[in-house]
Amino acid sequence: MTTTEIISEFIKNQFEIGDDPDFDNDVHLFNEGFVDSFGAVEIIHFIEQEFNIKITQKDITLFPMNTVNEIAAVVDSKIG
Amino acid sequence: MKVNYTSAAELVLRAAQLYGDDTAFKDKDGKISFIGLKESAYALASGLMKRAETGRTKPVMVYLPKSIKSIVSFMGSMLAGSPYVPMDYNVPMARFEATSKNLCPCAVITDGAGKERLEAAGIEIKALVYDELLQAEADYKSINNVIKNSTDLDPAYIMYTSGSTGTPKGVTISHRAVLDYTKWLTDTFDTDKESIIGMQSAFHFDNSVFDMFLTLYLGCTTVIIPEVLFMYPEMLFDFMREEKISVIFWVPTVMISAANSGVLREKKVDTLKLILFAGEVMPIKQLNEWIGAYPECKFVNMYGPTESTDIVLYYVVDREYRAGETLPIGIPCANMKAIILNENNMLCRPGEQGELCIGGSGIAMGYWNSPEITEKAFIQNPLNNKYHDRIYRTGDLVYEAEDGNIIFIGRADSQIKLRGNRIELGDIEAAAAAMNDIKSCCAMFNAEKEEIVLFLETDAKIVQRKFSMELKKYIPAYMVPQKIISMSDFPHTPSGKIDRQTLKKEYLN
Repeated sequence: MTTTEIISEFIKNQFEIGDDPDFDNDVHLFNEGFVDSFGAVEIIHFIEQEFNIKITQKDITLFPMNTVNEIAAVVDSKIG
Repeated sequence: MKVNYTSAAELVLRAAQLYGDDTAFKDKDGKISFIGLKESAYALASGLMKRAETGRTKPVMVYLPKSIKSIVSFMGSMLAGSPYVPMDYNVPMARFEATSKNLCPCAVITDGAGKERLEAAGIEIKALVYDELLQAEADYKSINNVIKNSTDLDPAYIMYTSGSTGTPKGVTISHRAVLDYTKWLTDTFDTDKESIIGMQSAFHFDNSVFDMFLTLYLGCTTVIIPEVLFMYPEMLFDFMREEKISVIFWVPTVMISAANSGVLREKKVDTLKLILFAGEVMPIKQLNEWIGAYPECKFVNMYGPTESTDIVLYYVVDREYRAGETLPIGIPCANMKAIILNENNMLCRPGEQGELCIGGSGIAMGYWNSPEITEKAFIQNPLNNKYHDRIYRTGDLVYEAEDGNIIFIGRADSQIKLRGNRIELGDIEAAAAAMNDIKSCCAMFNAEKEEIVLFLETDAKIVQRKFSMELKKYIPAYMVPQKIISMSDFPHTPSGKIDRQTLKKEYLN
């Protein structure tokens, strides 16, 4: 599976999104109500464990991480 | 402080003279010195005066992401003689329109994206782009004239707050109020030029007055903490350590989530000295976590509705509190007074419960362009018939404890506080009632679970996420109910009203 697929699967399962037609890899997870702010911490925790990386306050501040694709881009930049 | 200042914007000039190249504000994109702030604010004010008809009755909306640009815009608006009106950059367009209709602003300062959004929504307003305004040459003569012709009872800012009928109310605050509040802050707390403030408040909440004006007065630095970090306590505290933050004034919600995350001891910010909080009740359990992690810090519980200049009462935590005890909201600031009135408009005795009414130079001038609601909330002090003595009825129920501290009990109406946000449940109901297929609706607050529950009487199938998305077009995200329960028929009382007690009993427990 690609980074995007792994993250997308996790979010769909974790936040019980099922086959909601509005969900895709470019949807704003927080603005569109798929994930709340507590969920944001869970997502960071998941990608740190899964990809063995560390997300720092600079990453969070400088790069948007609101969609599956945006999160995947940050992960890919770290695992290079 | 020189007492003859008439405009809070004069603090910009004073700071540039006294503190020069020192850093005033920092955000994620950079920093600005006191001289830089003055030069930018003067240029912006000059651009504004050229392109809009500014003045004490012609406010300027500021519709920008939370950044240094917002601060320059606020100061520039005041220098141009107009009150500034901070708008949430994420505000639903319908709410922007309702606000602008009440406000009748002379212009809005925004960025390219904001201008496009306003145009797409068909909102008729003079939208001026920040970067373009900044190109103007500073017109010192005109600005000096504005300052010369202003009085300290001209409005400095207008902040919009939730209204029970769905129309936001514009609380109007004078320059005198801001100047007196700033003076009180510097007289009361141990802050100085070396202080580094970690700013949490959004600009459209009046806690932001603290960070901005204290910085201007003291010549210290405010770091605008990137909003996203408040979702990640660990990273928030890494940031605070890197920035060497020494003063914070946060809403309890943020302090609670930091305490609950276990990060307080793990990532201690050694530079922290003064911790203030206001906006909602601070629970003792989490306060004790903070005190345990920061025993050398001073903790202050502050209280103030938007209808005052940020703060009216304050309580410096001077002893240990046990679970179950209530933290006092304290005693009035130097320029404010608090009186507690019973139902007969008589002064309550110590221990007797009544409505908190506030007066003093910090109370608002009223609600902008809304004389009727102003008259109801801002009244002549019933204990004084000798001269004009205006007080604001807060709607907060309180009593005075034996030691003179005031204790908050609850609300007299359906206004609630959720994660530091002040919300009228009627505001949510007005938005929900306007949706298709909704016969009736009723919003309630489940204080135990800290959630808003919206009941809908409808025959349609309601999908919570989709309905919430619809609501968000009319009300800010923080007002969107956590739970939506729909049914085809509401229970009713014998008099035909919605039977709220039954709904509460059946669904909220």
